[in-house]
Amino acid sequence: MTLTVLQSGTQTLVMDAGRPGHRHQGIPGGGAADKLSFAIANHLVGNSWDTPALECALGGLHIRFDKACIIAMSGAEMWSQNQGLNLPLNKAVPVGAGDILTMSFTRAGCRAYLAIAGGIKAPPFMGSVSTYLPAKLGGLDGGPLKTGDVLEIGLPQDSPRSLPASHIPKLSNHIVLRAEKGPEWNYLSDASKRYLFTTPFYATSATDRMGSRFKGDQVTLGRPLEMTSSPLLPGSLQIPPDGQPILALVDGHCTGGYARALQVIQSDLWLLGQIAPGCAVSFRRSLASEAEVVLRGKNSYYAELIPGFSF
Amino acid sequence: MTSASSPRLSLYGDRAILVAWETEGFSETVNNAVQDVAAKLRESGKYIEVVPGYDSLVCVFDLAERTPKDAKRHIEDLLARSPSHEAALGQLIEIPVQYGGENGPDMETICAAAKLSKDEVIALHSGQEYRVCMMGFIPGFTFLSPAPKKLHHPRLATPRAKVQAGSIGIANWQTGIYGLESPGGWQIIGHTPLSIFDAHREPLFLLNAGDRVRFVPQ
Repeated sequence: MTLTVLQSGTQTLVMDAGRPGHRHQGIPGGGAADKLSFAIANHLVGNSWDTPALECALGGLHIRFDKACIIAMSGAEMWSQNQGLNLPLNKAVPVGAGDILTMSFTRAGCRAYLAIAGGIKAPPFMGSVSTYLPAKLGGLDGGPLKTGDVLEIGLPQDSPRSLPASHIPKLSNHIVLRAEKGPEWNYLSDASKRYLFTTPFYATSATDRMGSRFKGDQVTLGRPLEMTSSPLLPGSLQIPPDGQPILALVDGHCTGGYARALQVIQSDLWLLGQIAPGCAVSFRRSLASEAEVVLRGKNSYYAELIPGFSF
Repeated sequence: MTSASSPRLSLYGDRAILVAWETEGFSETVNNAVQDVAAKLRESGKYIEVVPGYDSLVCVFDLAERTPKDAKRHIEDLLARSPSHEAALGQLIEIPVQYGGENGPDMETICAAAKLSKDEVIALHSGQEYRVCMMGFIPGFTFLSPAPKKLHHPRLATPRAKVQAGSIGIANWQTGIYGLESPGGWQIIGHTPLSIFDAHREPLFLLNAGDRVRFVPQ
């Protein structure tokens, strides 16, 4: 069973759960930028949650299935059609041999996940098929899908499933992230400390899987900081000298030399994948004790329905 | 060996601990401690990531499996059990370098700032052994111990959109090797034909943190 790429879209990448454990060698864990939507799409088609699927940023993907199969789309809201018929989000749908699926442009969120029963076959690198563009790793020859590519699909694992509406996240173009103080928080000016948690920032066009450069109120340091390059994690908000913050995302650099002002909590990391250019992003203060309770709650909420998944 | 003072532990978000040593500029003693503690933390198998830096390290755990308090206690215990740090001496790797010309577009900048000839700069840069202090920010990028003081120079005011893989540069006191083609702001003085990272080779990495490096002018 194969599918053929008729139009590659803005950026369509093969993704799985990533390759954690190599940041000390400069290789980020990567994987699906929105782990939750990726897991939901896989679960619906009967795959285990971490099966390779397509991550479609902003839209534009057109593909043809050469055999009948079951598919599901989750994540960003795009106007998608199969054979001209609107395709529902978050629902397992059968498609026929020769059917053509088209995605237009995202209305809310940034990345839609297209899972196909059986999953996409690609050679793993360091235990993962996730595409990492800067080093051309994983996926198909390390790059995004190209028009004319033919993807191999595996054998279906299980019958399609459904999820209660309560388990489907509702995305919007104003993303609110809970965050704790980062290691260099104390270097911020008093004013910056106040408005980091109140003012919204806007993701600029310099937004990809590595990071998002924000526009908004100037964030300044209260005292000079001479920083040696230090380890950096996804979800860290960095403050460069020009005062326009940069949020490190799923493929973010493993080290950085700017003040790390905030750190998004583990429960909210999946939302980083839905930051599209132009999207508003706000931060809400989270306390360590709260982060743990939120994470345990969310994990147990989904663990009952999606085996093995955790935030 | 003199021992590094004890590091400060702090939370880095809800799922990572930052272990930072107090130091003025680069300290080999501190970096020994960083490498040694990082190796022991990795051995413990309790962390998803253990990332050593010049004077700090970050270890990432899964908040669902371990509380920050438990992680902190584990690291404190480990530090208490091994107060002095002998970092294992890594292998010595010779890196052939073509200095200057097309391969080192910023060589003249460094010569002018240091008031040295090209040959003198080459002699200084290749005249000492370096330690690999950290790998990052992209696969194969090699952060080395400080260059000789005369060669210290700030980054480019405007980073280049493309720096070729294998480029050897200077940024303030740091010197290092670009493992992949990437944008970059370091002053490039030379180039090595060796691939520091190659996805189609075993081993993938030519260098690892803790190794020693000597540049050999070609």
